[in-house]
Amino acid sequence: MESFDQRPDPEKILEQIHAHQKQSMGKLKIFFGYAAGVGKTYAMLDDAQDRYRGGMDVVVGYIEPHTRPETMQKLHGLPVILPKTVSYRDIELKEFDLDEALKRKPELILVDELAHTNAEGERNKKRYQDIEELLAAGIDVYTTVNVQHMESLNDVVENITKIKIQETVPDYIFDRAEEIKLVDIEPEELLRRFEGGKIYRPDRAENALQNFFTRENMRLLREISLRCTADKISYENQNERSLSDKMANTKMLVCFGSSPSSAKCIRWTARAAEAFHASWVALYVENTESEHLTPEQQKTIRANIDLAEKLGAEIVNLTGHDIAVVISEYAKLSGITNIVIGKSRNKKTLKNLFDIDFEDKLISLLPSIEIHIIPGTAVKRNYKKPYKKSRNKVFHFSLVDCVKSFSILVFATLLSFGLRRFDIMNQNIIMVYIFSVLLISRVTEGYVYGIISSVISVLTFNFFFTEPYFTLDAIQSSYSLTFIVMLLVALITSTLTVRIKSEARLAVKREHRTEVLYEINKKLLATRDLDKIVSLMNDYVVRLFERSIVFFTVDPEQGENGVVMQAANDINASVLNSPDEKAVAHWVFLNQKRAGAGTDTLMGAAAFYMPIISQGRVLAVWGISCAKEELDHNARLFLRMIASQVAMALERQRLSDEQRNIMVESEKEKMRSTLLRAISHDLRTPLAGILGASSVIRENKRGLDEATRDSLIANIQEESQWLIRMVENLLSVTRINENASNLVMSPEAAEEVVGEAVSRIKLRFPRREIIVHVPDEFLEVPMDGTLIVQVIMNLLENAIKYSPDNSSVEINLEKEGKCAKFEVLDRGKGISNEDFPYLFTSNKPSDNKIADASRGMGIGLSICKTIINAHRGKLEVENRNGGGAVFCFTLPLKGSE
Amino acid sequence: MKLDIKPLILIIEDEEAICSFISAVLTSNDYHVVKAKTGKEGLSLFTSHIPDIVLLDLGLPDMDGMEILKKIRNWSKIPIIVVSARGHEREKVAALDLGADDYIVKPFGTSELLARIRTAIRHSTQVIAMNGLEAENFSVGNLEIDYNKRIVCRAGENIHLTPIEYKILVLLSKNAGKVLTHDFIIREIWGIYTDESHTLRVNMANIRRKIEVNPGAPKYILTEMGVGYRMVEELSE
Repeated sequence: MESFDQRPDPEKILEQIHAHQKQSMGKLKIFFGYAAGVGKTYAMLDDAQDRYRGGMDVVVGYIEPHTRPETMQKLHGLPVILPKTVSYRDIELKEFDLDEALKRKPELILVDELAHTNAEGERNKKRYQDIEELLAAGIDVYTTVNVQHMESLNDVVENITKIKIQETVPDYIFDRAEEIKLVDIEPEELLRRFEGGKIYRPDRAENALQNFFTRENMRLLREISLRCTADKISYENQNERSLSDKMANTKMLVCFGSSPSSAKCIRWTARAAEAFHASWVALYVENTESEHLTPEQQKTIRANIDLAEKLGAEIVNLTGHDIAVVISEYAKLSGITNIVIGKSRNKKTLKNLFDIDFEDKLISLLPSIEIHIIPGTAVKRNYKKPYKKSRNKVFHFSLVDCVKSFSILVFATLLSFGLRRFDIMNQNIIMVYIFSVLLISRVTEGYVYGIISSVISVLTFNFFFTEPYFTLDAIQSSYSLTFIVMLLVALITSTLTVRIKSEARLAVKREHRTEVLYEINKKLLATRDLDKIVSLMNDYVVRLFERSIVFFTVDPEQGENGVVMQAANDINASVLNSPDEKAVAHWVFLNQKRAGAGTDTLMGAAAFYMPIISQGRVLAVWGISCAKEELDHNARLFLRMIASQVAMALERQRLSDEQRNIMVESEKEKMRSTLLRAISHDLRTPLAGILGASSVIRENKRGLDEATRDSLIANIQEESQWLIRMVENLLSVTRINENASNLVMSPEAAEEVVGEAVSRIKLRFPRREIIVHVPDEFLEVPMDGTLIVQVIMNLLENAIKYSPDNSSVEINLEKEGKCAKFEVLDRGKGISNEDFPYLFTSNKPSDNKIADASRGMGIGLSICKTIINAHRGKLEVENRNGGGAVFCFTLPLKGSE
Repeated sequence: MKLDIKPLILIIEDEEAICSFISAVLTSNDYHVVKAKTGKEGLSLFTSHIPDIVLLDLGLPDMDGMEILKKIRNWSKIPIIVVSARGHEREKVAALDLGADDYIVKPFGTSELLARIRTAIRHSTQVIAMNGLEAENFSVGNLEIDYNKRIVCRAGENIHLTPIEYKILVLLSKNAGKVLTHDFIIREIWGIYTDESHTLRVNMANIRRKIEVNPGAPKYILTEMGVGYRMVEELSE
């Protein structure tokens, strides 16, 4: 029951997908008819000609080459994409060139025969998948299809015509068509055409005529197609109701198993759900027997899952011994109103006598839910053979069990001899045998040993302990009852034991899955960062499935490789990053569907690719190598459960990333705007000074004495130097902003950085004493050297400015734990308490008080703080003992991440 | 013989103000100056005048300064000093690797500019003067290096250096006044294909502890952040 409670809300996803699709999807128009020859292609070409003349970019993608000459004439004038030739088993086949069409990207493309199956080796197995790709690329498509190719009508048509139609189209294709154009003619007219050889060439005609083109068939098919079209129209008319409304009314559940007749149930449910406008669930219950399924049966189950999915069901997979109980539990929990089950007439067997009928049980468990029973047909033969085969597997003979049974029986016989010696009655000897049979049933695998032992017991008892002794004569007398009791004991005990054992095994398996899922969930919750999530999941999948895996978190089209992980004895994982495999992953990203090995699309790939979808967006694509063998349905289901967990984790990660980005962005924005505000104020002052001084000098060339002129020029020089420093600071800010979160850091020797800063400050303040202490130890710190030099220079400059001229300024470098600690100390007046909180912000509330005196200091310090923060360091300030301030910052040393 | 002739300096710089400021400084310090505003003009003036030194601004309107550098270096070893904006270490390193002799960062003071030009001219004449004839020793401040005896002394006291440290010191001292990029030093000392930048930094730290009074405020070997190292020709104080 673990699969459905963690899924994202399907309604929301659907709504999202629809909303999303409406923007860019191409429109599909289907020309729909009840048989070949009604004129679908002709009508399609006719319509296309109109469009073409109306100025639309129309291209003919593919028209059947066997098309009638009258129709071919209609092709005249339309641009055509030439079909590509594929050779398959020495036969040259013409196939629609999908890639060419996608490259050409017309407004409207014509692709005949929606139900066509592509030649092997094509990207898609079916043509409708090609068409889906065209629609996804925003190209409008015209196509044709006959009613018998509709998936959900497949068995109905089969019943009418007695012809099995292999090529089917899922109903959702039909549903998503913007327009259905019914091409209809009288059956009589059609048959006339047919007889006139206008539909098939004479050589092909005979066979088809006998089987298919009968008046009766044509009438029925026509009726179905008309009704189908009418349904579509009425459905559209009512479709204004919202999806969630629809959910409330009816919800259907179909149970399917490994029987091919399940397909019929699934189709029936799809049709019924369509008629009721209801959503529906396809449920598969795993139990003991599912462990012994033959490959064919597994294939059928997979086919049934695919079918149900194609028809639009939600697939649920549950485990449990008693199917009826599991179904009823699920139905109660998820508000199912109708249940559909398939039933073939059971043979009366001994076992049946003791079992309640499945449907009876279901009814007793779910009195308020409607149950529909669909009779299974013509499947008995198919079904029984593998079933028998699978039963054989249950009764595997093992030497150990034989020895066990034999020794217990011998022991019982010996005991009985002992008892007889003490003259204990025969009834008690019977008890001994019954007990031994019970014991055997308990300790051996399967039913066989118990049954055989009971027979042997009866015979031995008969032989040794009934008169006449050492004969089997008493068998038909009163001991027959004993025999029956013994047999029953053996049977019941064995059945119970087998069931308990298998249930225990299933429980362990289920427990294991749940545990793994729980573990994954727990780990995912504790994992931050995309990379870590990816490596965690890769790790798990490789361990669980023992296959190599590739994980694409972005569309490989963008050039990035997926994260691969190598399984011990699988193909080289790097293959999964080859261009071919990337193309598959890219396709999955675009189409939001599974692809690759074991699917219908791009089957030649080395891996099975599945999208991890949340909220209608593909967050990632997973590729699991299928080089050894394809994944069985259990593995796929399990993968899906894991995928839903991963989807949640990825979604969470995406949201938190987005949030963080927004925060960083707003933080940066804030910094920038405060900076700009402060600067525009601060720049004006020195510029005014420069302008003033220079104009005084120019305008009063002779009126100025030497000393005044010198001081004016000195002013200009000083102010421009100040401006330069300001601009340098600003440059360092842009440097941080350019590489937002990741500065270009390279290891630098801390002492060199200090030395550089000191030497540059000394150029500016040659007369001030700067005392430098560096440790004997060599400290290497990853940093953007230029920026840190900038920080130290800012701090030194502040220290020099805010302390008396005759005092010295100190800079100390030392190692503190895993950090390098830089300290700048001065002997000024320190920092007043009211300034402390605003020291590192560029907008001081007491701005007007010391605006000119502290010009630029606020900006300088706030920039320092930004730079140090970007290095994951800390900048702090405190007042020094004995007067003065200490600015101190730390940077993490190399290798101390 | 050439002593009386004033050295000719070609300035390739598009900023009018900076160009006239530099030429004013240089003319008043006894240099001849030719000015070019674009790269093309610079190249043609270079071929017609054959200057003794080129001051090249990297940001020119018509072509990349690096291109000019490459073109000149194709056939001439005349010293080129690159003028660049601050904060583009990679550009500086690239220019030095392409064969620029030195660089100077805008904004710069007159004394700095003159010192760089002096060094460049001295090195170019040195190359001509000492073909095959190596200097035997080097001294700056208290530091003395005797290349023949392979002895390094500070204030008369012998300093013990490891072979690598000695090699680095010799390399720097023979190019005193010039900045040597990290890559250049590594290539010269360890060979081409190694990334020894960490080892270089450690060695440099050790050298400084041996020759400098205070390795935090070095006097002999200066760091050019993000670019390389420069050994001084004369003490600044």
